[in-house]
Amino acid sequence: MNRAVVILILALLSCALMLVSSQQRVRLLFAEMNRLELKERKLNQDWLRLEYEQRDLSKTSRILDSARKQLHMSEPRQDRTKYIKAD
Amino acid sequence: MQKVSTNSSGLVLRLPMWRSRVVLFLMFIGFVALLARAFWVQGPGNDFYEAKGNKVKRLQELPAVRGKILDRNGEILATSLEAKAIIAFPEDVPDDLSAQKIQQLAKLLQMSEGELRKKLGESRNQVFLRRQVSPELAKKVKELEIAGIGTTNEYRRFYPEGEAMAHIVGFTNVNDKGQEGMEYARESELAGKPGSRRVIIDRLGRVVEDLGDYQAPSNGKDLQLSIDSKIQSIAFDELKEAVSRHKAKAGGVVVLDAQNGEILALANWPTYNPNERAALSGEQLRNRVLTDTFEPGSTMKPFTIGLALEKGIVTPNTMMTIGHFQVGTKNITDTHPYGSLTVAQIIQKSSNIGTSRIAMQMAPQEMWEMYQSLGLGQAPKIGFPGAVAGRLRPYEKWAKIDQATMSYGYGLSASLFQLARAYTIFARDGELVPVSITKVSTPPVGTRVISAKTAIEVREMLETVTNPGGTAIKAQVSGYRVGGKTGTAHKSMGKGGYASNKYDGFFVGIAPISAPRIVVAVVIDEPTVGGHYGGDVAAPVFSAVTNATLRSLNIPPDGAMKDLVLNNNAPTTQRVSLSR
Repeated sequence: MNRAVVILILALLSCALMLVSSQQRVRLLFAEMNRLELKERKLNQDWLRLEYEQRDLSKTSRILDSARKQLHMSEPRQDRTKYIKAD
Repeated sequence: MQKVSTNSSGLVLRLPMWRSRVVLFLMFIGFVALLARAFWVQGPGNDFYEAKGNKVKRLQELPAVRGKILDRNGEILATSLEAKAIIAFPEDVPDDLSAQKIQQLAKLLQMSEGELRKKLGESRNQVFLRRQVSPELAKKVKELEIAGIGTTNEYRRFYPEGEAMAHIVGFTNVNDKGQEGMEYARESELAGKPGSRRVIIDRLGRVVEDLGDYQAPSNGKDLQLSIDSKIQSIAFDELKEAVSRHKAKAGGVVVLDAQNGEILALANWPTYNPNERAALSGEQLRNRVLTDTFEPGSTMKPFTIGLALEKGIVTPNTMMTIGHFQVGTKNITDTHPYGSLTVAQIIQKSSNIGTSRIAMQMAPQEMWEMYQSLGLGQAPKIGFPGAVAGRLRPYEKWAKIDQATMSYGYGLSASLFQLARAYTIFARDGELVPVSITKVSTPPVGTRVISAKTAIEVREMLETVTNPGGTAIKAQVSGYRVGGKTGTAHKSMGKGGYASNKYDGFFVGIAPISAPRIVVAVVIDEPTVGGHYGGDVAAPVFSAVTNATLRSLNIPPDGAMKDLVLNNNAPTTQRVSLSR
């Protein structure tokens, strides 16, 4: 009888401690998850921003402008263009 | 223990019974107090604690990203980048907040202290102090560490193509809702659905614990348009240049792919920068190509002639006496007097009298049915806000003079876009094609308006317009056979008749003539210097845009290399090779 009580008390105590520790782990993991989610979003945003910047730098009007003004290029004349077929 | 008790057994104190009773009683009282307290906390006093608890529980919104708008090659036309909103929870902001902090915050937010205090005094759960600020500014606000002031993530729309694409793409407001253009028309697809979760936060607004109740955010869908940003950019630049060269009021260009009805470019001037839209006027916002109607003038003649050819009234080589022509009491006039012209020459020289003479041999109903089947008088179904129908009066109400003037484009109205679409019948061997602003995966089925034979005959007439003797030599494109029709219309002033010195100059053309691929329509509204004829103001824009488009689409030249009126400073060489 006494032994059974002691065992149950021990079991109860250990369960209580485990509950406390798992709760703590949940909090830590949640914090970690939050951190990673934020990081994911930040990386996604960085990607979108870089994609936008790339687009902004590579848009036709800018390329044409640089080619004409800085590199002094002009469009090839039609009669100086050789047309070849892919097949 | 036993030993001690044995040794001191004689000293065992007999404590009075009442003392243990007192202890027991005190303990009992203690428990009763605890019970009472527990009862109070969970029962009648509950509201207070619940309120305290709810203060740290928040429904946190999880933002969804709005879909991107892409051009036909997947280039970005509109994208959402993260921005921050400065947000206040007025009930959490301490009442004794130091004046210095308020001053600092007001400075960062670029608002007056009074304004800030008023916002913080509002009795709402949360107040936006400023929206769509840079992450750097948001960080500075956070560093002030004021309780009840936080930041949330939101998005701001960016448009890399700026003013060149403004009328097609449109823009959104601070709440990320589409206001104009495709942003408005496709709002339901583009908009994301924000999610939410219930969380516990600490004093500084950091999330401590998730309480479940998670609703995942769903991002908006990307939208791919049929626009080619390269062609669009060139079309816009050419239009802008032409409008300033001729000191015109406005202008528009539209480029259609005649094979599948896709809109490759659609540019307007004046325009606006969708990235900075603090002060926008209706003039700038209007997508003239779709929303403004005008009398198409001579650009209507090919349809009239086409119908006459279809009905067998004339052939391209029928010789017509031009001379003077009177309908009722009104004289029909031409810019130059002609004795006689062939039907093809009527198009080439753009003779009003010749066209009217042919038109008067047809029934008004036939002409009306033709115009109707070209889509005139009906708004084009392209899913774009504000596309107008133009005006085409029922034939029962046409007087004789109406029939004559309508044959050369007065007395009815259409948008530039409707006109460009109508010209697809000459590019597609007689079929009118449904148009689309989004990328088309399967070629659409056209509806036949005229026979292929007639379409080819008119096409050849259109080519002569750009050849010596025609009204639009400036429309020529080196290496390609192109054709089209000029139009110069006196502007209608409503009831007051026509303005004698205000014109619209048009050119609508197709290229290449041997296997038409594109339709390009140009309008220059109220040109004031350097001529006002469509052949002088609009044809050069057609030439430049067509050249760039054909090159961009990798279409081999089908014509002879020749020096053009516009490009005569380099030596002519023989064409090197031509793939067919």
